[in-house]
Amino acid sequence: MTIRYLSERVLIFFATVLISVTIVFFIPRMVPGDPISGVLAKMAAAGGGSSGNAALVEAYKQRFGLDRSLGAQYVSYLRQLAQGDLGYSIAIFPTRVSELIRPALPWTVGLLGVTTIISWLLGSLLGAVVGWSGERSRLLRGIVPIALLLYTTPYYILAIVLVFLFAFHWTIFPLSGAYSAGATPSFTWSFAADVLKHGALPGLSIILVSLGWWFLSMRSLIISEQGQDYILWAEAKGLTRRRIFWAYAVRNALLPQTTGLALSFGHIIGGALITEVIFAYPGLGFLIYNAIKGLDFPVIQGTILLLVVSVATINFVLDLAYPLIDPRIRADSGRS
Amino acid sequence: MAILPVEEIEATIRPPVGAPPRFWAVLLRNRKFILGATVFLGLLVLAIVGNLVIGAGARRTGAYLPNLSPGDKTLLGTTSLGQSVAAQWTQALPNSMQVGLIAATIGTVVGGLLGLVSGFFGGKVDAVLRVLIDVFLSVPSLLFLILIASLLKQTSVLSMALIIGLFAWSWPARAVRSQALTLKERPFVNIARLSGMSDIEIVVREILPHMLTWLGANFLNAFISAILAESGLSVLGLGPQRDMTLGVMIYWALSFGALFQNLWWWWLTPVLSLIVLFLSLYLVHLGLDEVGNPRLRR
Repeated sequence: MTIRYLSERVLIFFATVLISVTIVFFIPRMVPGDPISGVLAKMAAAGGGSSGNAALVEAYKQRFGLDRSLGAQYVSYLRQLAQGDLGYSIAIFPTRVSELIRPALPWTVGLLGVTTIISWLLGSLLGAVVGWSGERSRLLRGIVPIALLLYTTPYYILAIVLVFLFAFHWTIFPLSGAYSAGATPSFTWSFAADVLKHGALPGLSIILVSLGWWFLSMRSLIISEQGQDYILWAEAKGLTRRRIFWAYAVRNALLPQTTGLALSFGHIIGGALITEVIFAYPGLGFLIYNAIKGLDFPVIQGTILLLVVSVATINFVLDLAYPLIDPRIRADSGRS
Repeated sequence: MAILPVEEIEATIRPPVGAPPRFWAVLLRNRKFILGATVFLGLLVLAIVGNLVIGAGARRTGAYLPNLSPGDKTLLGTTSLGQSVAAQWTQALPNSMQVGLIAATIGTVVGGLLGLVSGFFGGKVDAVLRVLIDVFLSVPSLLFLILIASLLKQTSVLSMALIIGLFAWSWPARAVRSQALTLKERPFVNIARLSGMSDIEIVVREILPHMLTWLGANFLNAFISAILAESGLSVLGLGPQRDMTLGVMIYWALSFGALFQNLWWWWLTPVLSLIVLFLSLYLVHLGLDEVGNPRLRR
């Protein structure tokens, strides 16, 4: 494996994390006034209850060390982050932000993980097949405009339409939540079925939209592979079309398709968070939404920081895995 | 064969300088471009004309009875607060487009400049900029936008556009950088350099004209993402408080439970507008792509 490729990826990973953490640290400080009074004033203006909560202000001033210099604040902020400390919620004061994130995290990870894998695999497969042999079939070509329509629709817009159709008009699926109101989370079949039923619509809206994109990009990749010399060469050798398709065209098209996955992760997460809001799905997006409504800035800050670092980490892992599927990076170290 | 004057020979072997007229001719024959552009302009004209026709009286909250379905008194029905959905739409659409326009302009200009500098001049500047571009490409910008917007006491169409523009430069920068990298090795650039043109002159007169289609496509992309970001933020409740945008319309429709009270005209109007808007812009984008990159034409 090439050292240069890896060191570049490591550098970009650390740069991403550092820049993100720094932005998250400085943004609240660019607003006039100290962060805690500002947030409290905004709360009071909105009729929020806990304005003038002296204990809260004190706790925050101490935690942030607001009397100290900006540099010192920054260092102590980094130290707290390194220990996984995201601070306290303002709306529900003694509760730590991490305690609020913990129950929400599995829902978002589950929803996003499952839908991303399904849509990437299915979209790539469909796109490959249609790109390879779609020109001859009118039915297959008909998928293209549908994919285009799906891809240009934002997740939450499709989610609104799906809720209306399948939860309101035809009451096939539940309107909101991740499980029925009375149910207690447990590892039983009935609870799993309940979760699946509730996850169907949010999942479907994410899958359909990203499916459109993976389909379109894989299709155009395969089409551009088709005219290549090495494909002609393989045909001339007398390989079966099936073999050429899987071992040559798809194999090559998978590389940019994987890069695409890494690059779009941040985009997928942003859209998926808003989708959670439409369905009142109790993940991180809904947590952020409620924090926005309750003007609970530390919760917004902590959740967003966690998400940004997660996206960077996922990209980093995908980057590290990339040489495994692209032998060219393994072989030569000269090019960047 | 008659001997032609030099100018005529030059005219026959060299296409005219500047943007070739062929570009527009090809573009205007592209069906995707025409369809997309027509729908887009149609929406805009509809909103502008609507804005002129609808008086201030009809725009007030409570100008009509609440929850009227389309056709009774108003074209697109009314909201739970007795506002005319049609009147809201005529303001929301141009406002959303304005956010897109400002943010995309910032993104394309800043990104274009950074990409040019990075790609054309190379060296240490390029090394730093490249890491920076990569970082901002992979960072989920909507998350930072949520963070910033949730701190602002008051957001307007303009402030929305500005903060979205802050994060809109990374894609154009990357695209322009990679274009600049290939363009600067072309023979005509070498000739320009040998003939004593300064770097700035080469960039402006030799490289920039080749990137115009490219920049146009990038601008459209940025425009689409900016409107997307605006509506996303607004759906989360972070949109402008005083101005109407398509996202703000959706936010209020959802907040008042328009979905579950079957007030379909209220939520469907902005939802459908966004879908049609994105689709038309994407068609324009595809058309531009095909014209700029003839290999895509079939």
